[in-house]
Amino acid sequence: MKDTIICRCEEITLGDLEEIAKKHNSSAREIKLLSRAGMGFCGGRTCRPAIDKILTNITKENPSDALPLKVAPPVRPISLTDLGGFGKDDE
Amino acid sequence: MQIYDVVIIGAGPAGLAAAIQCRENNLDVVVLDEFPRAGGRLLGQLHQEPNGQWWNGIEESKALLERAESLETDIQLGVSVHHIEKLDDQFVIHTKKKYFHTRNVLIATGAAESPAPIPGWTLPGVMSIGAAQVMTNVHRVKVGEKGIIVGVNVLSAAIARELQLAGIELHSMALPTRNVVVDEQSDPRLVMDRLSRIAHLAPSKFIQLGSKFAKYKFVQSLALKYYPTNGIKMWGMPIYLNKAIKQINGTDKVESVTMVDVTINGDIVENSEKEIPVDFVCIAGGLYPLAELAAVVGCPFIYSEELGGHIPIHNETMETPVKGIYVAGNITGIESSKVAREQGKVAGLAIAHKELNSIDIEEKLQAAVRNVVATRDAASIQFHPGISEGRKKVSTAFQETMKTQKELELVR
Amino acid sequence: MTNRIVDHPVLGKLEERQKVQFEFDGKTYEGYENDTIASALLAHGIRTLRKHEESGNPRGIYCNIGHCFECRVTVNGETNVRACLTPIKANMIVESGQVQPHPLNPSQEGDIPKTYAEYLEQEGRG
Repeated sequence: MKDTIICRCEEITLGDLEEIAKKHNSSAREIKLLSRAGMGFCGGRTCRPAIDKILTNITKENPSDALPLKVAPPVRPISLTDLGGFGKDDE
Repeated sequence: MQIYDVVIIGAGPAGLAAAIQCRENNLDVVVLDEFPRAGGRLLGQLHQEPNGQWWNGIEESKALLERAESLETDIQLGVSVHHIEKLDDQFVIHTKKKYFHTRNVLIATGAAESPAPIPGWTLPGVMSIGAAQVMTNVHRVKVGEKGIIVGVNVLSAAIARELQLAGIELHSMALPTRNVVVDEQSDPRLVMDRLSRIAHLAPSKFIQLGSKFAKYKFVQSLALKYYPTNGIKMWGMPIYLNKAIKQINGTDKVESVTMVDVTINGDIVENSEKEIPVDFVCIAGGLYPLAELAAVVGCPFIYSEELGGHIPIHNETMETPVKGIYVAGNITGIESSKVAREQGKVAGLAIAHKELNSIDIEEKLQAAVRNVVATRDAASIQFHPGISEGRKKVSTAFQETMKTQKELELVR
Repeated sequence: MTNRIVDHPVLGKLEERQKVQFEFDGKTYEGYENDTIASALLAHGIRTLRKHEESGNPRGIYCNIGHCFECRVTVNGETNVRACLTPIKANMIVESGQVQPHPLNPSQEGDIPKTYAEYLEQEGRG
């Protein structure tokens, strides 16, 4: 079970996450930054509910109203050229 | 530079219904969606209503699209929105090719699927249940020769039937084996309890059994105890609440799954492993509201298990505390596409009312709000119990947020 | 083309559509207008659309509606295009994703320039 991949993009397993959480006594955000789970290509869209669950289980806290993991733009991966607005038709 | 009255993100039932209301009131509207066809998740839906009529998502989408097109609605497909920027008196919608400036935004981005991670689930041939639905009903391509569904819930039962209708062979539906992430989906009792809510949908022995027994915890475990080893068949396909999928096997693609027996408590029975050859696997972990764009524009959230997760706070006219930002459809809670469509109407009318402030529109808006409730009460598919309680929680949260906002303004 | 659902008891017969030829990893395939790259390839039994950039593990479609990005491919030279959202066009050139050079693993370094001099040399300006 430990080798079950949770974050498909970064290939982070359940075991990886539990180990980090225990070793560093981490918050949700710290686990994300330490493991890169949820920080891959899809932006965590696939694994977010799973990671939330794992963190709730580790911290034994009920889900809070605020999003456990912050969402930051861009919510779809884009190239630096597109981000810079080159070639954009702003009318 | 053009400033739109409203940019609608998502061309599903909510987004299209909203666009129709806005266009009927002559607003400048653009609808954006990243999928190449309009309709959203509605496109793939195909099930028989309790009265025997078919709910055909392709036809329903077509009707909405035709109405929108007859009103000359600007619908741009294949466009992904990656940011909503808030300026003083307008919003800027960031897409890859273009920025859209607008006074109002309707975020109708629907839902994403929750995963049910099991070993081997990254292999080609493993897909979400929704992926199989779209491939089958929209693209009309078979997802494989023979498959198995991991995760037994309302959505996966409905889609299993759709795959069968398309002539795709399914070995069975079974639970995922237990881990932290899928603890609820791997609990036979909970799954049985939830299934009972689709009792009225299907004339099948299995579901009647669920319906009859689910109310009594004691009898429910009894029902599971006497659960036939070979599963109970729905439309000829076994549904196992006493078997679970432990892993998916294959080198370059799915070749088989390992199935184990589980007890009433979901514990694996030792030495019960069986290998079942399949070439595709559907993972059914349920849906959660896809609200990332509401988050980046600063909408506050509330957690509601009844509605499927974190919900952007909104009132009954689908307005969020961020003035000019509206939400409709599954982003506000997992419900049927009929409810989403009615919510879209409300949002469209609310935006029209804000821009035009007419008594006529206000009356229509009030009627539309009542229609959402009526549609919800009549819905044949309920994904979560206690939807109405969840909705009440969200309304209360909206009032509280607005009160706090006012108090803050007074302090300033 | 074998894997098409031609007759459907509720949705009816698959309508006649324009055939479209495109290329995937150097081979020519035929699909129909309104097919996505993913659906056209699956109709030919092709599931693997890329390899994980680091581990090389094979991947195919997972969500099929643009959320998971597992199906990203290169289309006419543009990288990271979602096969599940992109309709096929005549003569489109599609390439699967491959393992990428790894900056911290000498065996997987590839030919990415490590210095500015190497970069200029590769560009033919050294």
